[in-house]
Amino acid sequence: MDSALSLVPLASRVCVVFASLVIAACAGNGEGLDANGRPLVPGGSASLPPLSADLDSIQANIFTPICSVCHAGGGAPEGLRLDAADSFNLLVGVPSTEVPSLLRVKPGDPDNSYIIQKLENHAAVGAQMPFGCPTTQPCLTTSTIAFIRQWITDGAQPAAAAATVHAAAPLAITSVVPDGVEPVSASPPQIMIAFNHDLDVTQIDGRSMHIEKLMPGASPLATEIVAARVTISSANLRALMVWPSRPLSAGHYRLVINAGSPSQFSDIAGQSVAVGVPNELGESVISTFDVEVLP
Amino acid sequence: MIQRLTVAALMLLIAALLRTAPAEAEPYLAVMTGYKCNVCHVNPTGGGLRNEFGVTYAKVLLPAETVDNALDSWTGKITDRLQVGGDLRTDWTRDTVPNSPSQQAFALEQFRVYANLTLIPDRLGIYVDEQIAPNGSQNEEAYVRYGSTTDGFYMKGGQFYLPFGWRLQDQTAFVREVTGISMTTPDKGIELGYEHAAWSAQFDVTNGAANATTGSGYEVTTQVVYTKPIWRVGIAGSSTQSNIGDRHVGGLFAGLKTGPIAWLAEGDLVHDQSLPGGRSLAAGLLEADWRVLKGHNLKLTAEYQDPDRHVSNDQQTRYSFVYEYTPLPGLQLRAGYRRYFGIPQNNTQNQQLILMELHGYF
Repeated sequence: MDSALSLVPLASRVCVVFASLVIAACAGNGEGLDANGRPLVPGGSASLPPLSADLDSIQANIFTPICSVCHAGGGAPEGLRLDAADSFNLLVGVPSTEVPSLLRVKPGDPDNSYIIQKLENHAAVGAQMPFGCPTTQPCLTTSTIAFIRQWITDGAQPAAAAATVHAAAPLAITSVVPDGVEPVSASPPQIMIAFNHDLDVTQIDGRSMHIEKLMPGASPLATEIVAARVTISSANLRALMVWPSRPLSAGHYRLVINAGSPSQFSDIAGQSVAVGVPNELGESVISTFDVEVLP
Repeated sequence: MIQRLTVAALMLLIAALLRTAPAEAEPYLAVMTGYKCNVCHVNPTGGGLRNEFGVTYAKVLLPAETVDNALDSWTGKITDRLQVGGDLRTDWTRDTVPNSPSQQAFALEQFRVYANLTLIPDRLGIYVDEQIAPNGSQNEEAYVRYGSTTDGFYMKGGQFYLPFGWRLQDQTAFVREVTGISMTTPDKGIELGYEHAAWSAQFDVTNGAANATTGSGYEVTTQVVYTKPIWRVGIAGSSTQSNIGDRHVGGLFAGLKTGPIAWLAEGDLVHDQSLPGGRSLAAGLLEADWRVLKGHNLKLTAEYQDPDRHVSNDQQTRYSFVYEYTPLPGLQLRAGYRRYFGIPQNNTQNQQLILMELHGYF
């Protein structure tokens, strides 16, 4: 113990030196970077574009510098990634995970868009965003939120920048809601399948899918077939909506593409993708999910 | 009264000595006392409901002044099997971002209640942490716990915070934001834990935030901490597999007590393939807590983050100066100043914050 105590003065000095080193580690000078800290591209600007009611500007001024500090990559809360490559696909027409009956962004309807409720602090669940506001960072001002409101009112169009990023990647599904991870607490009004490219709507048959309620346990036997309608909103050609013909009772479900369906999932450039995993009948299963209807 | 306080202090001392696994509340208190998390908290990884020892510590040793009579019998126990607790934080802040008007506001930061139901003593229990306000109720933690959280193995199943680094009160600390693991990001899964003498270890398998909408993988998190009376060191790692890209996080953290000062340090590295192009990030924290007098603590924090290690000149730092005054049991006042430094072309990376907080707890 004595030897341990004799180390205290030495430890104090080490701590002070270490603290000095940390404090000396200054912030970057921003040279060669844009306003969000990313390397400047030829012809790019080091300053932010003025805030306007389009996704390019909202992304550069709000989503990237403020939201994607947390909402980016594999650690993004609620799986909501708000970096430039993902924000449109995971916002527009996508049900909120906290309140699945509300879309994160409902084109044309800012009051019923969950993102607005979270920013204005009247959401049914959870803290106001940006997280920590007003305690550890400023909340977005009413005038700033007004630009997001206007973008939604105008139909929540995609960003030109995001479209460029995605054009280089092969067509793929980026998310399915609800999924097999977390049960939904009530019958979902729709199932959303998000893609990374705009889909060719002429290739999709509105009656190409159905929903099967499975027997309890691991059995793949279906006990009920629920017809479904497939639509794509003209506001977001990357989100396929599947509407059950009636409310789903509590149970385990899977979303299935009908055998022999003429639907093809291809983008407007002609790239196609095989969707789903074959089941015992040769149909393609897109996802499974559980519904818990609470009293 | 003095006699009662002396007895209480002696009981605390004896209880501390009898425990092979010493505790934490705010982590600097753990470093200051040499305790492990489970000495003061029901949750073996710290935070949330304080156990009887933690409640007594908060009543007797933490505040500048103890209060006779009213709180003598309060330990949070409603019955032998049910214990409750809570935290309410309300504050006034003024944020100043360059080229923007300052914002100032009163806010209710959080009101949380905790409950622990012991079904079989030292073996089986249910724990709940619920945020009541602001806005609607939101569950933070809810899990079943089996086994001993003081000596031996235990298992949790349900929703809980992941064990990774210092469980800081400030969830916006760079080390918490960059790792993405904090008390704002509980996850669902199972945890296997081990507590014995100076050792604490956890192994978790959970969904992972990346799989919230895709269900395409799991997050595996592990942490090992070795605690001695005046120092401790820990190592933590987390790996998430997801079809949007894998994410790996590693961290080292340590604490040291030098006289009246508790030092906390943490360094983390993140490699995130789910960010466009894949990205490596780093974050560090150094905190000094000086117990000026009983009930008075001066907290100085220096933080650093590099949001992309392959990009030069983009680093950010943050410095905080916070005075914490605990005049009475169950009441803490905090006032402080925080300054951010980032690239000059980004205003939000260069903000300043003044805060005053009222913290009530039981």
